[in-house]
Amino acid sequence: MGTLAKKLAVLVALTAVLVPLPRPPAAAGKLSLWRLKTYIPPADKILDANAQECAKKAGLELAIQTYTFDDMWTKFTAAIESKTLPDIAELDAVGPARLANLGRLADVSDVVAAATKELGAILPNADGAVKFGGKYNAVPHYAIPLVLFYRPDILTKVGAEPPDTWEDIQKVSEKVKKAGVQEYPNGFPWNRTGDGYDPAMSLLWSYGAAWVDKSGKFTGIPKAAGVEALRVVTRAYLADKTSAFDYLSWSGATNNEAFMAGKITFTPNGPSILYQEESTQHPLLKDTAIKVMPKGPAGRNLALTFVMNWAVPTDGKSQKEAKALIGCVMARENFVKYMQGSFRQMVPLFAKPLDDPYWNTPTGKIVVETVKQGHPVGWPGPTTPAAAEVVSGNVLTDMITRVIVDKVTPEAAIDEANKRMKEIYDRLPVK
Amino acid sequence: MNVLTDRRRERLLGYALIAPVAIFLGALVAYPFLSAIYLSLTEKTVGYPAHFVGLRNYEALLESGRFRIVAWNSAAFTVGSIAVKLVVGMAMALALHNVVRGNQFVRGILLLPWVIPTVVIALTWKWLMDLFRGLINVALIDVGAVTGGVHWLGDPTLAMASVITANVWRGFPFFGVSFLAAMQTVPQELYDAAAVDGAGSWEKFWRITLPSIKGVVAVVTLLSTIVTLNDFNIVYIMTRGGPGAATHIFATYSYELGIMSQRWGLSMAASMASLPLVALLIVAVVRYLHREEE
Repeated sequence: MGTLAKKLAVLVALTAVLVPLPRPPAAAGKLSLWRLKTYIPPADKILDANAQECAKKAGLELAIQTYTFDDMWTKFTAAIESKTLPDIAELDAVGPARLANLGRLADVSDVVAAATKELGAILPNADGAVKFGGKYNAVPHYAIPLVLFYRPDILTKVGAEPPDTWEDIQKVSEKVKKAGVQEYPNGFPWNRTGDGYDPAMSLLWSYGAAWVDKSGKFTGIPKAAGVEALRVVTRAYLADKTSAFDYLSWSGATNNEAFMAGKITFTPNGPSILYQEESTQHPLLKDTAIKVMPKGPAGRNLALTFVMNWAVPTDGKSQKEAKALIGCVMARENFVKYMQGSFRQMVPLFAKPLDDPYWNTPTGKIVVETVKQGHPVGWPGPTTPAAAEVVSGNVLTDMITRVIVDKVTPEAAIDEANKRMKEIYDRLPVK
Repeated sequence: MNVLTDRRRERLLGYALIAPVAIFLGALVAYPFLSAIYLSLTEKTVGYPAHFVGLRNYEALLESGRFRIVAWNSAAFTVGSIAVKLVVGMAMALALHNVVRGNQFVRGILLLPWVIPTVVIALTWKWLMDLFRGLINVALIDVGAVTGGVHWLGDPTLAMASVITANVWRGFPFFGVSFLAAMQTVPQELYDAAAVDGAGSWEKFWRITLPSIKGVVAVVTLLSTIVTLNDFNIVYIMTRGGPGAATHIFATYSYELGIMSQRWGLSMAASMASLPLVALLIVAVVRYLHREEE
């Protein structure tokens, strides 16, 4: 029996070693931080160095983990359910609304107050993504605004001005195609990535086709305005053939590749194409220009989808230390160092650093202007969990592709989208 | 008494030895599976408690036009992939069965697609089929077969054919190698006797080879059907379910619902949708194999 007991003991010990146990929350003196892994590694290095320096000064041990836009919600979904969110989380545009609604974010109004003393006021349009019920649940870190990339050399060749409206883009694309310069110059991908749903919001809003009111409550996409918006962009695929159906299957990087391969004249993108072209001394760098995204009949109402915000989840036991660390990372000296190392990709959402001479370049001015004019997801209301699901569930881009791919009428596509959105808002009512 | 004690000890040791496997299977297979079934019967949003709603999620899916598209796409993707893998795998096995020189080398080369990570395969095919820079389009234009790039990933029908092609390329070696192994167990005397009776190659295949390896064919087809029905990487990387929802399948749809929209209950119901079909397939194959044994 002694031998059997020994064997059993070995088996139990092996099982105990092999079966993973839930991760215990970070002990006092240790902090965990999750941040976005961006496409600018030098900027990531500066951020990590700043954060580690801040932790060191506070006598804390900081463990940094990263995620990409693609796997962010996979990581956070698991952490939300297992109650193992980190002490500090860098959340995307919809993260603060989702987690605040769950009561899982600490009030960081004091951190925001301290940051505004150093960095100036938060841009009013950034508030809607981080301020709920009169208190701040996250500190805006930076925005990567989507701008319109275009080829000035091709426009000169066909005698066109840089487009300023959605209609203009269609017209110039047609000219480019007719001149035989490019077959499919219009690279607006209504796909399941930010390059699809960010312009989809800008399009609808600039045609007066928002789906909520100022309180964030569901009203539905107004039919006439929505139809007008859908007609103008679906024409490129269905009538003018200035866009290829392949664009609807693009990943987040494919439009960058197509633009840099000289195959398209227009595409919506973060300033990453400039970074890529500058860092590789790409031959098209001299023929690449950016512009603020187009306006429509209701004005220029841009979406700010790629916004990152610091938050302190209530799962952590070191909220005070976490807040102090965010405060330190957002201190003027640290923040400006990070901003200036970002190759003009990470645009601040506070007033003072936006006035920094660093942005005083032709492209810098455009990205700053875009951020100043941007609106949070769910505009004209604040960002809500329901608005988050409308975007992440691809309701808007599905509406557009139903017209393009499935040949549904714009009216029917809007009816379908409104039905889907109503179900979402009924399930996640706006408080 | 001593014998009884020994038997008891032996039995206890037996239980102890299978305990880790049982615990692992319970924890990693049974528990998640049963949890998924339970969650599919609840209204569960990530972070919120689950509320039992019975079959309401399944009703919602059945009423959803989008889910019907996804179900149709999943069926097309699975049936298309399996049918082509079956034919190509059989051709590969027959060819290798008759190759004497360099058999091992060719077999090794043909196994490559099966050992390459799926992500690499999907990215490679995505690049090959790119409208502008893809090798296939560049080659077709260069030889004058087409004047403009073919919309491999843009045309809804071609996009489905394209993801099926990538899936077939990854999966046919499994079919081929399994069929080849089975073919090598068929006694040569059967073929010799058939030859004496005047049977040609087709008759030998149809009347000897195929009946002899049909068990393996059934099992391989079943296993591959289950794997293909749950495939995610190829479609997600190559098209993200696009254009529109033309290649959206159960796995990509469940991901969109569960992770992006945070609707676990509905997501689980969507991923369970193929379960009855898979269960039926398993029962059919198991019964068939039992009958064969008897």
